[in-house]
Amino acid sequence: MPFEIPKTAYSGKIKEIKLGKTAKAVTVGGETAYPFYLFEGQMPDLPRIAMEVYDMPPEEWPEAAMEPFAGVTGDPVAWAQKCIKDYGAEIICLQLLSTDPNGQNRGAAEAAQVVKKVADAIDVPLIVWGTANHDKDTEVLRTVAELCQDKSLILGPLEEADHKKIGAAAIGYKHTVVASTPIDINLAKQLNILLGNLGVQDSMLVMDPTVSSIGYGIEYCYSVMERMRMAALTQQDAKLQFPIICNIAKETWKTKEAKILEKDDPKMGDAKKRGILLEAMSAMVLLLAGADVLIMRHPEAIKLVREMITDLAAK
Amino acid sequence: MMLIGENLNVISQTLGPALKERNAAPIQEMARAETKAGIDLIDLNIGPARKGGDELMSWVVNTVQGVTDKMLSLDTTNQDAMEAGLKTRKGPALINSVSLQTSRVDRGLALAGRFNADLIGLLWSNDGMPRDVNERAMHTVDFVYKANAAGIPNERIWIDPIASPVSVEINQVKACVEFMAMLAEIAPGCKSTVGLSNISNGAPTELRPWLNRTYMIMLMRHGLYSAIVDAFDKDLMAIARGQRPDIVELVHKVMDGQTPDIASLPREMANYAKTTRVLLGESLYSHSWLEV
Repeated sequence: MPFEIPKTAYSGKIKEIKLGKTAKAVTVGGETAYPFYLFEGQMPDLPRIAMEVYDMPPEEWPEAAMEPFAGVTGDPVAWAQKCIKDYGAEIICLQLLSTDPNGQNRGAAEAAQVVKKVADAIDVPLIVWGTANHDKDTEVLRTVAELCQDKSLILGPLEEADHKKIGAAAIGYKHTVVASTPIDINLAKQLNILLGNLGVQDSMLVMDPTVSSIGYGIEYCYSVMERMRMAALTQQDAKLQFPIICNIAKETWKTKEAKILEKDDPKMGDAKKRGILLEAMSAMVLLLAGADVLIMRHPEAIKLVREMITDLAAK
Repeated sequence: MMLIGENLNVISQTLGPALKERNAAPIQEMARAETKAGIDLIDLNIGPARKGGDELMSWVVNTVQGVTDKMLSLDTTNQDAMEAGLKTRKGPALINSVSLQTSRVDRGLALAGRFNADLIGLLWSNDGMPRDVNERAMHTVDFVYKANAAGIPNERIWIDPIASPVSVEINQVKACVEFMAMLAEIAPGCKSTVGLSNISNGAPTELRPWLNRTYMIMLMRHGLYSAIVDAFDKDLMAIARGQRPDIVELVHKVMDGQTPDIASLPREMANYAKTTRVLLGESLYSHSWLEV
């Protein structure tokens, strides 16, 4: 009797979501099988990488992370343009670090102006990421939504506590939302239901399961994402059939392991190589768990992951 | 089906203070109300009661046994309190509970032997909660062996496989059901029980009964002997007493993979069908599971 390779019985499909609206818009999702199981189904839209830009000069970044952006870290517009021109960014993620109430606490109007400038200066899709402070994000992201109403932004994170107000603005001004939950599949499903009830169209939602770096509980993220895909693809769970976005760069580069200098701990080896590999490997783990969009930082880490995606998708 | 009322509980906002102040009236009122509601046993949950637990349990047993003829379930992890309660009790008692932890099992079994009481065998071992159906089976064998060696026959052992919340780990929810189907073979003559409301811990309060009732039906199908329940959930009581064969039949059908078209069912039946699918792991739980 010939051996038959066991096959997963899929009954669902991840929704295809279009990010942005210019000629450079990208479509993510669409999988009909587990990540890179191309022998069982399709991945019509390969995972994409969004490059991070910060709305204020970063503090406490390791040298390796600063180096590729030397000269532009004080100017988000220049930074975004450099990512696109020099590093081939297909999506930009503007992190609104300056609005953090525990930091600079920049006001909503001022922050929104910066978003507008960046949005006007680039033609790739723009993700705008707040600080996960419910009150502040509500204020800031609502202002951003209105000021950039013709830009088809991707706004996040929306959490249960602030999803109504930010969600309403996103609906009104036609932006896509990032539904964010704390590493819990049941809560992820619940928030998607709530956003649906609020009136967010299925075509305007991506999910953020909350991720962490290698060494900081990435196994849990993996497991939750894996279960999301199992429910979506084998149990026809329509409320989980959304692309997954992972904000991984900042989780990686803030770790002690990425920051410590070789001279302070020689056994850790070259700091630059270490940071890049930590970011690339964390991103890779998330890709294998089902990530559709990875928010990344270092061009060399991005290059590694792109190569990996190409290899895994090769026929 | 033997129903153990869970409502006389130290975590209650009225009964907690009453227990502390030794105020008999609210305690007796609850015992009467549970009796009137038709439950079979009254659980007296005084919590861990680290200080003065013996005196408290003795007091509450005395307070309650005067107003109800129901069997009493003495619920505490304080073994001095358990002993004091059993000493005071005139009539049948259930020890809730004896776990498999080395530090607890011998004394718990000795108390059951000495006072001729029934006991709940909680499958909680030195390693904590059992991880799957196999560990539940293994712990049952272990528990029954130890109990028999202490002179306690299977008929006095009520095995509790430990139900855990649906929102935490669905595989544990399924493992309990699987285990129930095996129990009669592993430990012939043993009874069973489950802290039913655990299944809905973390779910929106007003929706919890749907999970409790449905899970009870699923476990009853595999021979569940008793459950610790909300004495005032009338629908649950009706189901347990065999007055809702329509619901039971529907849940069984869904369990057998013959789910009728849910959209065409009346609301109540649709809710049971949806809840069964969630508890079977066929549909992922969310707080809005009845809406989708």
